[in-house]
Amino acid sequence: MRALFLAPIAIAICLSAPAAQAADSHDIKGLYLMTDYPAVTVRPGTTSTIPLRLQNYGLAPERYQLSVTGVPSGWTATLLGGGQPVAAAMPGPDANVSLQLRLDVPKNASMTAQTLTVKAEGQGNEASLPVAVALAKELPAKLTVESKLPSLRGSPKSNFEYTLTIKNDSGRNLVASFAADAPPNFETSFTEAYGTQELSSIPINAGQSKDIKLKVRPPGTVDGGHFPVTVTVKAEDATAKTDLALDIAGQPQLQVAGRDGLLSARAVAAKQTSIPIVVTNSGSAPADNIKLSASAPTGWKVTFQPSTIDRLVPGKDTEVQALLTPSDKSLAGDYMTTVTATSRGDTASGQFRVTVSTSTVWGIAGAGVIGVALLLMLGAVARFGRR
Amino acid sequence: MSETANDIVIAARDLTKRYGDVSVVDRITFDIAKGETFGLLGPNGAGKTTTILMMLGLTEISGGSIHVLGDDPARAPLQVKRRVGYLPDSVGFYDHLTAVENLAYTSKLMGLRPAERARRITAALARVRLLDVADKRVATFSRGMRQRLGLAEIIVKQAEIAILDEPTSGLDPQSTIEFLGLVGELRAEGVTVLLSSHMLDQVQRVCNRVALFQSGRIVLMGAVADLARQVLGAGFVVEVEADGSGLDRRLAAIPGVTGVETLAADRFRMTADRDVRPDAARAVVAANGSLRRLSVDEPSLEAIYARYFQSQAGETQGARHAA
Amino acid sequence: MRREGSPFQGVGAVAVKELADNLSSARMFVLEWLIVLTALAALYSAIDSLRRTTAQDPFLLLRLFTVNHAPLPSFVAILGFLIPLMAIGLGFDAINGEHNRRTLSRILAQPIYRDALLIGKFLAGLVTLAMSLAALWLMVIGLGLIFLGVPPGGEEVARSLAFLVIAVFYAGVWLALAMLLSIVFRSSATAALVALGIWLFLTVLWPMLAPAIAQVIAPPDPRYALLGLQTPDTGIWTQMLSRISPNHLFSEAMVGVLSPTTRTLGPVFLEQLRGAVMGAPLPLSQSLIIVWPQTVGLIAGTIVLFVIGYIAFQRQEVRA
Repeated sequence: MRALFLAPIAIAICLSAPAAQAADSHDIKGLYLMTDYPAVTVRPGTTSTIPLRLQNYGLAPERYQLSVTGVPSGWTATLLGGGQPVAAAMPGPDANVSLQLRLDVPKNASMTAQTLTVKAEGQGNEASLPVAVALAKELPAKLTVESKLPSLRGSPKSNFEYTLTIKNDSGRNLVASFAADAPPNFETSFTEAYGTQELSSIPINAGQSKDIKLKVRPPGTVDGGHFPVTVTVKAEDATAKTDLALDIAGQPQLQVAGRDGLLSARAVAAKQTSIPIVVTNSGSAPADNIKLSASAPTGWKVTFQPSTIDRLVPGKDTEVQALLTPSDKSLAGDYMTTVTATSRGDTASGQFRVTVSTSTVWGIAGAGVIGVALLLMLGAVARFGRR
Repeated sequence: MSETANDIVIAARDLTKRYGDVSVVDRITFDIAKGETFGLLGPNGAGKTTTILMMLGLTEISGGSIHVLGDDPARAPLQVKRRVGYLPDSVGFYDHLTAVENLAYTSKLMGLRPAERARRITAALARVRLLDVADKRVATFSRGMRQRLGLAEIIVKQAEIAILDEPTSGLDPQSTIEFLGLVGELRAEGVTVLLSSHMLDQVQRVCNRVALFQSGRIVLMGAVADLARQVLGAGFVVEVEADGSGLDRRLAAIPGVTGVETLAADRFRMTADRDVRPDAARAVVAANGSLRRLSVDEPSLEAIYARYFQSQAGETQGARHAA
Repeated sequence: MRREGSPFQGVGAVAVKELADNLSSARMFVLEWLIVLTALAALYSAIDSLRRTTAQDPFLLLRLFTVNHAPLPSFVAILGFLIPLMAIGLGFDAINGEHNRRTLSRILAQPIYRDALLIGKFLAGLVTLAMSLAALWLMVIGLGLIFLGVPPGGEEVARSLAFLVIAVFYAGVWLALAMLLSIVFRSSATAALVALGIWLFLTVLWPMLAPAIAQVIAPPDPRYALLGLQTPDTGIWTQMLSRISPNHLFSEAMVGVLSPTTRTLGPVFLEQLRGAVMGAPLPLSQSLIIVWPQTVGLIAGTIVLFVIGYIAFQRQEVRA
């Protein structure tokens, strides 16, 4: 490839040797057509612009007819000046006119190198500039993004944080904007590497690199699995991509409720009542060794039958009986009791509103008192009645 | 008295009422025949009202027995009270109700049907001559009217026995006569009347037979004439006021005369088993005396009463002297 | 000796007559208007304050019974004070009045037992009181409908009916007491004075005496006093002693029935409140269980006082 580049450059130097000499000493005279890089590489299917200058050293202003020769078939070469196509230029003495050569290279162009010649012809003076165009399928990247740890593992509840390094190789200062493409319902956000400010773009000086952070939060209900995330960084015409991955390990998620979702129960003071409690694993991994406990008002006794659940696979529920004995001093009415199911990795609790009824024993005793009083009356009627 | 057992409507045997150690009624025994008018006599507190209350089952019997119309008031007071009318001592009515309303209430308690009630009440009020004040409140009634209203209640009840406790006490003479007239009408209808009173002349006027109460006992019982013979010793007492010598001897010599009492020098009281006035007049004339007054006392309950208590007092004194 | 016939024969006739007497008597007329007017004043002020302050209350009707608006006490407090007066007014001369009018022996000479007279009179008095209270109850509901514009809910009606029943038995206690006194004292004036004395003692003096006696029985603990709390023992004794008064039983029962959030009428310990959801209304059945002892006290009191009077009356002589 290098040899291919060097050959047209050598030609160009030979052709412009007088001009180069003139440039070296300031008393050179004449018309020169110049460019910074007379040999370029382009990619088929793209449009490239090559900046040109028509330099007049010590000549009277004159109209110079512009033309491009040696354009391969299928290519389009247009000379632009001041943003529009031009056919002639007129540089003042010791002044130049900026021109651009726009090349539209078709996709199917053959990969052979071409040499186009730009000419400026006036009354007696003329200048020409051969431009060597090499074709290449790939151009060296102008923007790169990469992550040191592209694949992270965690639970559905964890935050996945990726540190991304964006490098600007384009030789220009760029503003890089980024986007992440994640599976549905995954939340993504970009922040500074050391900060919490969310970002959507970041300026990067030429040749510099910057770190940003990508946070991915999977939905809590996600099942375990491998989820790809693609980060795309764009700056002007440059694009860079990197693939990241989340490895989500499943996690149990417990829920505690009463039967049919009821969170209320009835109980009688000082009497054991059995309250059905349904423990549900709505997570993505089985829960093992679930322990049940309760926080109840003072003097209450709460036990569970059974007191632990060995294993609860996702999507299943199991019923446990809470044996609740309100204190004999409990007042009638509502009390709150919290039932907690604890397993490694997850804890769930449900608040039960327990409506305590006081025992009707005293009510019966009261009826007994009335009964005794009535008996007393009957006795009195029997003993003293009928007078 | 010669009734068959069927005619006896009230029979008391050793009837006794004690409060603690005090016997208010002490072993009294009497029979009252159907249609009889029986007087209970005696001072206040002698046990008359208590006896009446025992007859109605309104007070407990401490001993003995009593049967009213064949029922034992201690066992079946309702049966007795259904057939016996009672006019209590100084009877009271609900002052804010009219005469009819008062009677309607008691007749309801008697268990009468509404139609029967109205009919009987109107009839009874007419009989006791209270029909024109039937719808007046009892508060405006005089004592005599109240007593008559009480009698009307007994009439409404169609009682077989009417027990009247001191019915004429506190009545003016006119009302008393009127009331006793009504009692007489009842008696004429065959109602057995039991009259308790301390007004002896009234009792004598209406009663066939009396029982004299003293300290819870019946000390005398029988027809007035019999009692007179028993207490006074004879049925007739003739008083003679005359002067003459040896008159007492001459009077005592008259056949049938059981005794002569010299009340004063010229006054003598003869007791005899017949009316000895002609003989007494003859005796005075025979003795050349001048006859100023010759009177005969029919046997008076008052006399019997007075004499009895006099002699009782004498006996007690005598007994005390003897002791 | 066992007597024949029903002791209740004639109860109906006596009760009807006494009821008619009660309802037409000038005494009842005065007492009823006294109660109606005082109650109206209390209700008016209650309605006034309810309309101004209450936004949402599921038991608006019940609040009508219990809300007090200074200077007037609540409707229920007024009833607690005046029901005894009405009952005493009905009962103080029930028996001695018959004696004094000399109607007793005449009535008892009719084919009834004296049981019927006493029971009939008591029932008539109780029915009279129940009718008056029911009229007052209807008045409250009617005024509530007119001025608050809220139709009463089923539970409210049930609770206010419980109020009615308890109030009737409260009246029954005083009626039985007044009748007992009318049996014991031959003079109506004495009976009335004693009854009113007991009434004043139990409604005015006893609430002051009970805490004093309780402090003697269970002296207050200075440790509690320092915290500004009542010593539990003293509090319990105070309550026990206070409950001797039917007035106290009645007001406790009223609180329990008419304020559905009442969870207990006894002393409350802090530990009983831990975890309790405050302000939640109790179901009716639980409220009834709470006030049941008070109700039993009133019912049993009525029966026992009546039985004492009954025995006294049966043992009495008919004649004066």
